[in-house]
Amino acid sequence: MSDQRTGTGAGDGTAPGPAASTAGGHEELDALWDDPPGLWGRLRAVQNDKVGTRLVLTGFFFLLLGGTVDSFVMRLQLARPEQDIVSPQLYNEMFTNHGSVTMFLVILPIFEGFAILLLPTMLGSREMPFPRLGAFSYWTFLFGGLLYYSATLFQLVPDAGWFAYTPLSLNEFSPDLALDFWVLGLGVAEVGAIAAAVEIIIGILKMRAPGMTLTRMPLYAWAMLVTAFMILFAFTPLIVGSLLLELERGFHMPFFDPDRGGSSLLWQHLFWIFGHPEVYIQFLPATGVVSMVLPVMVRRRIAGYTWMVAALVAIGFLSFGLWAHHMFTVGLPGVVLAFFAAASMVIAIPAGVQIFSWLATIWNGRVRWNTAFLFVVGFLVIFVAGGITGVMVAAVPFDQQAHDSYFVVAHLHYVLIGGVAFPMFAGVHYWFPKFTGRLMDERLGRLSFWLLFLGVNVTFFPMHIVGLLGMPRRVYTYPEEYGWGVYNLISSLGLLLIIPGLGLFVLNLAWSLRRGEEAGNDPWGADTLEWATTSPPAQHGWTVPPIVHSRHPLWDQDDLHRGEPQVERLVHALAEWPLRWRAALVIGTGDARPVEIFRVSGPSIWPLATALGVVGIFASELLKLRWGIVASAVVVVVCALAWNRPDPPPMTRDEELDFERTHGVPVRAYGSLVVPRWGMGLAILFASIFFGSLLLGYFYLRLENPVWPPEGVVEPSLLVAGISTLLVVAGAGSVYGGLRAIREDDTGGLLRGLLAGTAAAAVGGAILVVDLLGLDFGSTDHSYGAIFHTLASASLVVVLFACIMACSTAVYAAKGHYHAYRLSPVDNVSRFWIAAAVLWVLSIGTLYLSPYLT
Amino acid sequence: MVLLASALDPAGPAARDIDDLWRLLLWFGSAVMVLVAVLLVVALRRGHRRALAEPDATETGPDDPQGTGVRPWLAGGGVALPAVGVVVVLVATIFAMRATADAAPDDALVVDVTGHQWWWEVEYPDTGVVTANEVHVPAGEPVTLVLRSSDVIHSFWVPELAGKLDALPDHANRLVIEADEPGAYDGACAEFCGLQHANMAITVVAHEPADFEAWLAEQAQPAVEPSSAAAEEGLELVRAADCARCHTVRGTDADGERGPDLTHLASRRRIAGGALRLDADSLTRWLRDPHEVKEGTSMPDPELSDAEVEALVAYLEGLR
Repeated sequence: MSDQRTGTGAGDGTAPGPAASTAGGHEELDALWDDPPGLWGRLRAVQNDKVGTRLVLTGFFFLLLGGTVDSFVMRLQLARPEQDIVSPQLYNEMFTNHGSVTMFLVILPIFEGFAILLLPTMLGSREMPFPRLGAFSYWTFLFGGLLYYSATLFQLVPDAGWFAYTPLSLNEFSPDLALDFWVLGLGVAEVGAIAAAVEIIIGILKMRAPGMTLTRMPLYAWAMLVTAFMILFAFTPLIVGSLLLELERGFHMPFFDPDRGGSSLLWQHLFWIFGHPEVYIQFLPATGVVSMVLPVMVRRRIAGYTWMVAALVAIGFLSFGLWAHHMFTVGLPGVVLAFFAAASMVIAIPAGVQIFSWLATIWNGRVRWNTAFLFVVGFLVIFVAGGITGVMVAAVPFDQQAHDSYFVVAHLHYVLIGGVAFPMFAGVHYWFPKFTGRLMDERLGRLSFWLLFLGVNVTFFPMHIVGLLGMPRRVYTYPEEYGWGVYNLISSLGLLLIIPGLGLFVLNLAWSLRRGEEAGNDPWGADTLEWATTSPPAQHGWTVPPIVHSRHPLWDQDDLHRGEPQVERLVHALAEWPLRWRAALVIGTGDARPVEIFRVSGPSIWPLATALGVVGIFASELLKLRWGIVASAVVVVVCALAWNRPDPPPMTRDEELDFERTHGVPVRAYGSLVVPRWGMGLAILFASIFFGSLLLGYFYLRLENPVWPPEGVVEPSLLVAGISTLLVVAGAGSVYGGLRAIREDDTGGLLRGLLAGTAAAAVGGAILVVDLLGLDFGSTDHSYGAIFHTLASASLVVVLFACIMACSTAVYAAKGHYHAYRLSPVDNVSRFWIAAAVLWVLSIGTLYLSPYLT
Repeated sequence: MVLLASALDPAGPAARDIDDLWRLLLWFGSAVMVLVAVLLVVALRRGHRRALAEPDATETGPDDPQGTGVRPWLAGGGVALPAVGVVVVLVATIFAMRATADAAPDDALVVDVTGHQWWWEVEYPDTGVVTANEVHVPAGEPVTLVLRSSDVIHSFWVPELAGKLDALPDHANRLVIEADEPGAYDGACAEFCGLQHANMAITVVAHEPADFEAWLAEQAQPAVEPSSAAAEEGLELVRAADCARCHTVRGTDADGERGPDLTHLASRRRIAGGALRLDADSLTRWLRDPHEVKEGTSMPDPELSDAEVEALVAYLEGLR
């Protein structure tokens, strides 16, 4: 490893790449995209660098607060047999906290925040599509984490593990509020995770530089795209599971209590449908980071880009087919076990493609030994070891020995530290200069790498052995005579390497931030767009957005702003009048041709206010203030309406048309047509997954209960279901009629459609409410009643949202806001109504018809 | 070696089948690990030499989207190698599953094992014998354990004999175990079940079949009469104090059902879910303050004087 000859980074061996043009009102744009100053300005901040940095730092703060101290104390307690440094209660609280914090409050916000920070610059756009949603995501995440952590102040720390298995997590066995802090605090953070995922999906698909087709997109963006979809599909069932758990804990509705028709395993299914994809949700962004850092450090294009994309997508799909491998010991039938074993093992193939692509890239490359690359190499070694033990625990009979033993603790830490933390360290060393303008110190970096690499192996390798010797997980002590002491001692001693390793890393950050070597734009000779901008990038990222012709624009292009004359004029126009407002470009998903220019929303206090409303709902439930739930829900609705209030457009219709004639691309200064449509599409997808999970719960409970509905319960009235469903469907039809009217510029027709639709659906909803109130079974006696009331209420809430949206749209319609050329909100409301009607038909149909189908 | 409870040291057919699978996994996994490590070292050395040879090279190689130049790496190492590995491991897994799933014959002994927070209740339904934290079985014969839980989810794991299986509150799971030789095989609850999950040990004790029958017959007897004045006084305390509310001593009028059956307490190895070895000192410590030994246990503080504790210990020690 000879630094002198092969260099450590800083500009060696690379010709200066093309730089971004800052011509034409750079300062003015910078100010235009910056957040307002002062405390009030900070509360209204939406700028992606700020929101992203906040998410990353807050995740890191939560890690220091909980994730690390806990693990040190736990290793101290287990270092010798039969110690009582901590009480069993404290030990159980600590491993619960360690798992919950790292899985929900650390890795996820760090990766989502980093994506929000990095993606616009990397993709050559100016902002994320919904800056206010990004800010909302940050506030909900922060408040959720604080709500969760506030349990400590009340001495009500959750103690049922990060998985909170029922019945242990039910009132009977966890009677105090500790578990409610867990469900509700993390529930708020989960809302934030989904909001950020929506933002990331649309940002990647619709807001890239012209010419950056899907096949020219950096692998990091691909990884985040797959990850964000996985978050949507995995966190939604978890939110449903958390909702059911809290309904059982707070409202005594039995979903999991076996004595009242519930199922103890339903929670495990809902939890692991989230929980296994969650592992890949953490792993995929890390592979994205490796796929960016490694090729630059070996100065070679990634081997088999297409293979890598296929591998990412394959892992995304497969990860949803193997949740039951966490349940190999609950007594599932053999066929089910074999299926999930096969599905779990097959994921080794896409993972293998990734590993061998990285190996081939190194093989063909020219290695630059520096800290970022060392962490990548460390990642390859530790992650492969963790992957191999992963295939082992997919082998059902072996897992029946290894499951819930220290073997699994070893496996998961190899995967999460090797597979996630090491790439994170590599990414920090790699991108630190971009966002601070300074390089991190190499000597401190290398020392921290070696301490961490050795420390992780010394700590976690012996756990494989002690697990096979019979040591179960989550025990606060163990008897001396079992002979586990020596392995535990070695594990604990490993911390003497890890702690200074982490300390040096933090020290390096602090030192380099002030005194690090000046980095310049592109210290690594890298290939992707973010390295063409200044370090740190301007608030608006790109004054003149780049035009991309290659997967590695900085390696292959001499000029970042050359392209077809039409496109070239367009990107320059983005820096000039009449676009001197927060104008951003939307491109076609696949071909990356410009399709519109729209105004990105600016700083606003409403995301914070809405997040406060959301946390109010959860905190009220925690305090059992039922009126507080309703009041907070009203706050959320009011704030969300204020948040979306349209601003007066900065261009007249004639100016817009003029611009479109000149440049061939429409300007939508009042708001995008494309981006909200995607937003609504993802919102509908979220609602569909939500209802899908509830229906899964319904049919699972039904299969678990041979008598359904329970003895003595009269089947529900088909007449009520029929009439209310007809009214809701008619309402959706009427709103759609309103959309057709405004397409003909008929505002009166739009108003009639919206109001008639709302009236019809309101009557339909009222009929259902009356029927629910008059049913001869309550929600607390049996799981039948519990799931019945939950699904029906969820349908009512969706229709209520639809009505609120229709009314607010009607208000703006009456003011003459909508025209044939400006109907995006109407379009979206109509889509939501149709989705609401479909969900209503499915859930009400299931509830009212299914009891007859015996 | 002091490997009392080890999956690496199987003592019965189910654990041995798993051990065979484990050996295959270990060798195969190690081979893959070594292969990848060697490739990594070779690739790094090559990349390093190339960097030395052309330290200033800016040429970054042709764009190779389909990976044709590196197809041997991707198709061979990335797809074929894991695919072969998966097929081998999956076939071995399915064979091992078939082997371990063999049900016990119809006339095999059936034992009901019920998990409680934080101890195991063990019942022999044919004879009405009830004991705790120990499953006695005849060596060399398959035995069916019917696992249930009275509260939260527990998991029955005796690594030398078989893999683990959960004890659920709403389903009975059946686990077949068989010990080759007489002996004691230690295990523990493997599913986190609350405060004292760490103190929920289980021991399978295998006897020669004839010895097992003798053991069972002995356990079926009612409790022995107290043999000393102190023990006599102890029995009175069982009746008068709250012991009888939760514990059964067959042959007396103590018939509580919440706690472990004490009829043959002194024949057992450990008390308090394995937290203490069974002897006079441990019993004294336990009766003076159960929560000092096992914080959170359901056993309330009996609030006895030293003399009462002594009498009670004298009685309990005699319950062979």
